[in-house]
Amino acid sequence: MYAKKVVFSLSIILALVLSACAAPAQQPATQAPAQARPAATQAPAAPGVTTLTVWDYYGEATPIKPLIEPFEKANPDIKIDYQALDWDTTLEKLNVVLTSGGGPDVVTVDMTWIPKFASLGAFTDLKPISGGKLNGVAWDQAYTPGALEAITFNDQIIAALYDFDVYSLYYRSDLFEQKGLQVPKTWDELEAVAQKLAEGDKNLYEFDADTFHGSQWIYENGGSLMSPDNKTITFNSPEAVAGIQKYADLLMKDKVAVNWTKDQGERIQGVKDGRIAMFSDGPYYMGILKSAAPEMAGKWKVATHPFGKQPGSYLGGTGLAIPANSAKKDAAWKFVQFAMQTENEINVYKLAGAAPALTAALESPEVNIEDPYFGGEKAFGVFLESMKTAKHFPYVRQWADIDAAFTNAMQQIALGQKSVQDALNEAAATSTDALSK
Amino acid sequence: MTAATFPKSVTRFMHKYAIAYLFIAVPILSIILFLVIPMVVSFWWSLNDYSGLQAPKFVALNNYVELLTHDKIFIKSLFNTTLFVLLGMTLGPTLGLLTALMLNQKVRFQSFFRTAYYLPVMTSLVVVSTIWIMLYNQNGLFNTILLNLGLSRVGWLSDPKLALLSVVFASVWQGFGFETVIFLAALQSIPRELYEAAMIDGAGALQQFWYVTVPKLRPVIVFVYIIGIIGSYQVFDQVFVMTLGGPVYSTETIVYYLYAKFRDLRLGYASAIAYILFFILVIFSYLQWRVSRGRED
Repeated sequence: MYAKKVVFSLSIILALVLSACAAPAQQPATQAPAQARPAATQAPAAPGVTTLTVWDYYGEATPIKPLIEPFEKANPDIKIDYQALDWDTTLEKLNVVLTSGGGPDVVTVDMTWIPKFASLGAFTDLKPISGGKLNGVAWDQAYTPGALEAITFNDQIIAALYDFDVYSLYYRSDLFEQKGLQVPKTWDELEAVAQKLAEGDKNLYEFDADTFHGSQWIYENGGSLMSPDNKTITFNSPEAVAGIQKYADLLMKDKVAVNWTKDQGERIQGVKDGRIAMFSDGPYYMGILKSAAPEMAGKWKVATHPFGKQPGSYLGGTGLAIPANSAKKDAAWKFVQFAMQTENEINVYKLAGAAPALTAALESPEVNIEDPYFGGEKAFGVFLESMKTAKHFPYVRQWADIDAAFTNAMQQIALGQKSVQDALNEAAATSTDALSK
Repeated sequence: MTAATFPKSVTRFMHKYAIAYLFIAVPILSIILFLVIPMVVSFWWSLNDYSGLQAPKFVALNNYVELLTHDKIFIKSLFNTTLFVLLGMTLGPTLGLLTALMLNQKVRFQSFFRTAYYLPVMTSLVVVSTIWIMLYNQNGLFNTILLNLGLSRVGWLSDPKLALLSVVFASVWQGFGFETVIFLAALQSIPRELYEAAMIDGAGALQQFWYVTVPKLRPVIVFVYIIGIIGSYQVFDQVFVMTLGGPVYSTETIVYYLYAKFRDLRLGYASAIAYILFFILVIFSYLQWRVSRGRED
């Protein structure tokens, strides 16, 4: 009796342990046969079906999910295993699966993740797999030069840019009209306008102590974050310091800006209660304004952000990438190309309210509509214009350290703890130290 | 594996204890699988420069040396976390003991209060932190009170001198109900006779507290501190939700920094941080174990 019980219990434990061990091992096993089958060729007569795992961080308004049905119809040999994740989860899960194997075949990636993943070789080079063309159009024709640069790393194309993000000026056009103000084109004009707008803690320009905004003021003064070869830190050069100084003056000297910290709440609160009259952000925020502040329709407009020497902005967005450890790269590329077809790219705008990255989609009349929320202007055109001069963040492995050091410097400046020059010098020293490792 | 091949004593032993050992085997196996193996692997990683995507590069103790001698942010996070523990472990148990003493008097609605104090403990830290962000808001409750008192606003989460303290307050509010319940249970288990004897000897309320209550509570106090210090050193959620380690690293804590390094796929470096934290906790646990054992002897 006892022996039987023992054997029974033992076998259950064994089964539990083995199943726990076996789970990860199964994945490569199921993927192996798919690798052998060239998915790019015509569908064989009676083949097994390739299943592609697609991770999508867009959320409810996703332009990717609606692609599945038509894609599967056009490619009966490919099935999509669609998984909706949020932005944070996608990053966490990517960290885990890229290091442990398995994971998706196509994934939405934020371009700010690229420095890390690309420098570690986590994504497939799309150049050879695409034969140099995206849906029959050469890569350098499909994208603007800035966008192409943003997806290029070490002469490889590591993602297809799906939507883009560049910063332009959002401003309260109703207040401008009331006070008879012109849209500022230069920093000096911005300063003058901000002084006329501000009333105590109302109608201010939003100051953000982060790299997205800091870099914009540096670019706009002809400066840069790093040298073109990504070897030297340049954000403490004279042009860069002067740019940040001008930005900080709005806050510290003129007191016409508000340092938008955690305890100010969400920006949309400041937009609604009138604390913010101007801020700089990407095209995605048009959608947020429309849905979260519908009562303010007609009160906001968008313009190129004022600059010192030249317009400038960081360039980011969402890319579609194929992880290097995917065993179904050809089928995955088919899906990426499908998503990048012009009419599907237009859905990035129609469904998600984001800015499609493909030049053909950008120029389509369906995207360049007159937007009643923004006073009947073609608000999108402003961002298209900004995109032409925007630059992506440097793609170096140590970017997270540099980003943290720069952000810290911006916070020190905003708190008045250090002068602009001292804060940026210190951040540059920290970053240079990180680069040497 | 038939029992017949074993000597009789062994067979008898197996019959008697086999099931017991089997039941023990399940948790032991899961501990080995999910704790011991990851710990060993993590220690190996801490001696390497490892991203998970490329082959690990052995660097011996370089990660530890770098962290403890060069990495200003890590040293700041060590300092911040220790300050967090000190403040939290001063305020939390004190508040817990005070409320327990009050509840131990024959107050009305005792169980209502007990539940009320314990409710935050059962609430997710993320939810609690989100609520406190609203309280700390520029136009939140605290600043409104300050303004009504004729004082000026305070940047609870944006002033580097205050931010850590603000995180401590929120954490203490969330956690002290746990200490209340533990202390209350301990207070109620102190025999009445001891107080009666003390009273006959002419001891006042304070003397009763000092000579009866405190000695009887000592093991519970040690327990509360062990649990509290180990928990506080691992503070993460509040920082993640409320401050992201800022402003200017004023709320950067050990685990938050570890998390940032993990996110950056610096797995070796992050593992070294984990091991430094582990050593700190081992030292504290040992000290407290010595203290509690010393008292019992």
